Amino acid sequence: MSNILSQRWLLSRRRFLRGMGTTMALPLLNAMTPARAATGPLPRRSVFVYIPNGVNGMTWQVSKAGREYELSPSLRPLEKHRGDFTIFSGLHHPNGLGQAHVCADTWLTGARIDAQSARQYHNTVSCDQMMAEVTSRHTRFASLELSISSGTGQPNNSTTLAFSRDGVPLPAEDNPRHVFDRLFGEETGGVAARRLGLSRRRSVLDLVLDDAKGLRQQLGADDRTKLDEYLHSVRDVEQRTARLDAWLDKPKPKVDGAPFLREVSKDRAGEYYRTMFDLIVLALRTDMTRVITYMNGSEGNGLAIPEIGITQSRHQLSHHGGDPEVLARLAKSDGFLIEQFSYFLGKLKGAVEGGEPLLDRTMVLFGSGMSYGHSHSNSNLPILLAGGRGLGLRHGKHIDYNRPKGGGYKLDYDEWLGLCGRPKDDQARLSNLMLTMMQKMEVETERFVDSLGPVSEILG
Amino acid sequence: MMTFRLGIILLIACQTSARAQVAGLLDFEREVKPFLARHCLSCHGEKKQKGDLRVDLLEGKFGEPRMAGRWTEVMDRINSGEMPPENELRPKAEEVARVAEWIASQLTEAEAARQASTGEKVSFRRLSREEYRNTIRDLLGVSFDADDPTGLPEDPDWQGFERIGSVLTLSTAHVEKYLSAAETALDEAMRLGARPKREVIRWSASKMRTRKDVAEELAAKGILDQVRADIVPNNGALDALDLNIATTGEYAVRVKLSGLRPEGGRAARLRIYATDLSRTLFEQDVEADEDQPVTLEFKAHLPAGTHLIRLVNAVSGPNPEDRASRPLNTKPFFRMKSRQPWQIKLTDDEFKPIWPTILLDFVEWDGPVHESWPPPSRRRIFFEGEGATKDLAYAREILSRFASRAYRRPVETAELERLVGLFEKSRGLGDDFETSVKTGLLAVLCSKSFLYLVEGSASSPTSGLNDWELASRLSYFLWSTMPDERLLDLARKGTLHQPETLDGEVRRMMRDRKALAFADSFPRQWLQLRRVGMFQPDRKIYPEYDEFLEKSMVAETTGFFREVLEKKLTLREFLESDWTMLNEILAGHYGISGVRGETMRRISLQARDHRGGLLTQASILGLTSDGTRHRPVHRGKWVLESMYGNPPPPPPPNVNAIIPTPANQPKTSLRAKIEAHRQEPNCAACHRKIDPLGLAFEQYDAIGRWRTEEAVRDGSGANPRLDPSGELPDGRGFADARGLKGLMVVDLDKFAAAFTSKLATYALRRGMTFDDRKSLAKITEQGKLDQYTLNTLIERLAVSDFFQKR
Repeated sequence: MSNILSQRWLLSRRRFLRGMGTTMALPLLNAMTPARAATGPLPRRSVFVYIPNGVNGMTWQVSKAGREYELSPSLRPLEKHRGDFTIFSGLHHPNGLGQAHVCADTWLTGARIDAQSARQYHNTVSCDQMMAEVTSRHTRFASLELSISSGTGQPNNSTTLAFSRDGVPLPAEDNPRHVFDRLFGEETGGVAARRLGLSRRRSVLDLVLDDAKGLRQQLGADDRTKLDEYLHSVRDVEQRTARLDAWLDKPKPKVDGAPFLREVSKDRAGEYYRTMFDLIVLALRTDMTRVITYMNGSEGNGLAIPEIGITQSRHQLSHHGGDPEVLARLAKSDGFLIEQFSYFLGKLKGAVEGGEPLLDRTMVLFGSGMSYGHSHSNSNLPILLAGGRGLGLRHGKHIDYNRPKGGGYKLDYDEWLGLCGRPKDDQARLSNLMLTMMQKMEVETERFVDSLGPVSEILG
Repeated sequence: MMTFRLGIILLIACQTSARAQVAGLLDFEREVKPFLARHCLSCHGEKKQKGDLRVDLLEGKFGEPRMAGRWTEVMDRINSGEMPPENELRPKAEEVARVAEWIASQLTEAEAARQASTGEKVSFRRLSREEYRNTIRDLLGVSFDADDPTGLPEDPDWQGFERIGSVLTLSTAHVEKYLSAAETALDEAMRLGARPKREVIRWSASKMRTRKDVAEELAAKGILDQVRADIVPNNGALDALDLNIATTGEYAVRVKLSGLRPEGGRAARLRIYATDLSRTLFEQDVEADEDQPVTLEFKAHLPAGTHLIRLVNAVSGPNPEDRASRPLNTKPFFRMKSRQPWQIKLTDDEFKPIWPTILLDFVEWDGPVHESWPPPSRRRIFFEGEGATKDLAYAREILSRFASRAYRRPVETAELERLVGLFEKSRGLGDDFETSVKTGLLAVLCSKSFLYLVEGSASSPTSGLNDWELASRLSYFLWSTMPDERLLDLARKGTLHQPETLDGEVRRMMRDRKALAFADSFPRQWLQLRRVGMFQPDRKIYPEYDEFLEKSMVAETTGFFREVLEKKLTLREFLESDWTMLNEILAGHYGISGVRGETMRRISLQARDHRGGLLTQASILGLTSDGTRHRPVHRGKWVLESMYGNPPPPPPPNVNAIIPTPANQPKTSLRAKIEAHRQEPNCAACHRKIDPLGLAFEQYDAIGRWRTEEAVRDGSGANPRLDPSGELPDGRGFADARGLKGLMVVDLDKFAAAFTSKLATYALRRGMTFDDRKSLAKITEQGKLDQYTLNTLIERLAVSDFFQKR
């Protein structure tokens, strides 16, 4: 029942936002240039990093709860950032339980999609996009979608984490050069020509919008059709175009593009990951956007890591069938991904703005929508939240919803399987954490999908 | 604590879904209702509602997503044995299976009904990416690279079909890409000014491989033009050059080279790859003696700018050079026999090549090529030629003609006025005539009536198609592109739907070259070939698997379909045949000798080849595997889904893993492990219907190779021999894949019914429902009159009344 209520809320909010239309958006846009007045509020940022297929829980699980925990073998590379993140055990998406292939599709949406019987696919808005609605007025790009594969993938094998208000997947980019060009590339023809081009685009968009609106009215309110999807998208692009126009006079920051303009092969997984992380840091540092999703692997495309002797994809490793050798390789792959993540946190810490590390004003959610890959179990998700101390987050703990008093983990196969099969605490919802982040991003809401409330343990 | 049940539990309904529906109505009163009353209602009924669930209120409500979700939960819970709880009366496994089957069939039916969404006054079916590309090509006469990774996103599919109206969504990203794609395409189509200068950029081997001072020295000796570039397998980025293209357009590319093939090995394979575009421009096996080089020529559409081009010898295996960069040689390569000691070893002592080797002389980029100027694409838009009076009336006529073609129907007055208004506004802002026209055309290409196939009318609801809509449905079905002038003419006359006209048109369209789009797309979507290689086979276990083999695997299946279509063969061939389509690499993969070269061709099969029909093709066997091992249950599920249109219900969540064999135990086949799981009565009731259809293909591994024993890593002793025998639910037994295929041929009618339904799903861009059953059955019955000949079955569908329904 509860998510029905929240859906209704989404709808009304959507209508409200759309009702405002372009007339509201423009004054805001004009007010915002130049980008950030020296006295304006400091930026709030969120990054979401996804790893596919779950992890090897026997080497991932941290035993002790609270502050005095010891890092597990897979998480050890994070030691130096200990004060900057929180480990969660026992989180889950209630709607995701028992669903095999939707874990990436719904990681940030929490929607109920019945994938196994392959009925009509309908997703809902992802939390990053709700944040982007708030932050977009400050930045050139509302949000950035990055992934191991470009595009959207297919339903139930998504290669993007971001979903629009209509539940439509937003295509991601996988090529650092394309992303760099989009963010920092010089526009040809100078400001005047660009402006002319944009205004031409806007009159084109106005026209096609008028054209479609006429028909929409004739169809009547109850006849929800594909036309709505079209109308909303065109209107969004209209607004984006207006924003680009407003930003035209402000030159793009000059940055060193060399590391991103060369070709980085995915065969060298580590180098590829670090390049993408560098790019994210650069995009945040220059305030091109404040909301970024990054799938550093999709369920079907979790990179093999030849440099450490792993020739199978993560999907293959996750179908380990309990084989100890394959499980060891999965653990090695987990550790490798954590190392890259540690590198990313290090870079965010190293970049300083206004005397404060970038990490302190950036929340980073890291994890998977799957816990035990072999038979697709997804409670006890591997989840970490880092950064955002400047936004009021408190870190350094292991918050364990499996065993709140901590301890007593045997770290064997059956225990792991049991923890992943069914939540120990049905209130330990991943949406609570997302709600916490959304509130820190100043999204005005008390609820996200099936959330019960913010996670008080990390609030200062 | 939930009870974990063993096994990968899959239930299947053995009837076709239509039959399940009829049976379903009867079964509900007789079986389902009493079952629910006996086992569920005491806790989930009027009096008590544990877990907020009232099963009695769910009755009949499969269409509502939330209720359907609850039904799914009921199905999963009883299926897994979790419900009813242990202290309650336990139902028999067969009873559970029947109730679960009933729920599944109801859900499938409700889902198809939603996909069909026939209730809309006006339906909007977005063009797929492929259709968008083809339509731009035919509308504007320019090529547009739809697969460009920075371009349009890949389309989602529903049961493999990438053109289902309700599934093809549209996001802001689409609109942005449509805008920029249309801008680029219009720029190219409307190009004006002096004819772009045609230039030839020539990369000679000496330029690629020789330092400047050495080149001068060699030139002085008169042997500079004898330098050749030796390219060994897997050279990666070693031969990468910048290509500076001044003008966007078509380029003729010529490559002169030799391709040496080692004895018993593969031919060298030239791949020309544009790194920045992430696009392979050309790829081909090359066999030509050292002294008899050949010149290959191909066309490439290249945008202006600098492109990093790689010249690759795309043969899998180790790279004999084994280095990351190659300095410009001081002593370049000339001949195999004159190899210097410090150059890499290319031959044995008898100067026979030991690697597939390319010896390249030059690459020439020649263009942009324009057959005439101004280009025809421009003359088509500015139809009165360059001397015409550029006034408002002319602009109106240009916009009217263009919009009518783009919308695939006459443009309405109000639409045209809006476009003319845009033109005038643009003029008012100081844009010239051309630019203002272009702005109008851009609006046409971004409007709903271009991007969507629109059927129906808001003012007067209709159940059938008008002639314009029929023209589009036909052409997107058979050609994957917009209707041609002739179809539009017939629609204008209002005669297209007349049976004799329609008959003739369908036959004409099937003969047209554009029908190749159907012959390629339909099998890809029906058989879900997109999944081939989705889980990249493990490079350690399958080192011979590479991109070329994978492409050849898909080409066998699409080529097979095309052959059946063009040679007017019957549906029976899909189940069993004594021929298939092969090229050298795939024949080698199958252990069939005597096929040389990369072109797919028809090859006769013997019993010892263990092939024939679709089910034993490597593409199908591969896409149902997971990259490490074969998956019998998935193979069985695929057969039910693709060949019988009857997807089985899902396994309950959280079933246990198959546990590996301890080292001191004898090696165990996957079949034995699956069968051990089936000891559980709850699993057995269902799995005996699905597993045999997959286990029949035990003798084919994860990449589709024939084998007689299973390579098992864990355990001791010999690898287990494989047992492909099985029994269908009705008791008929078979010894192996061939036996099963034989039984499927006996049941040809069942396959034909499912195939017709798949064909209709593709053509009508929606799921088939119970309401469609009679119409489909009629088409299938007609098809039986000539033993289900493929091309006439397609024709029958296209000319049927059913095809003209919304």
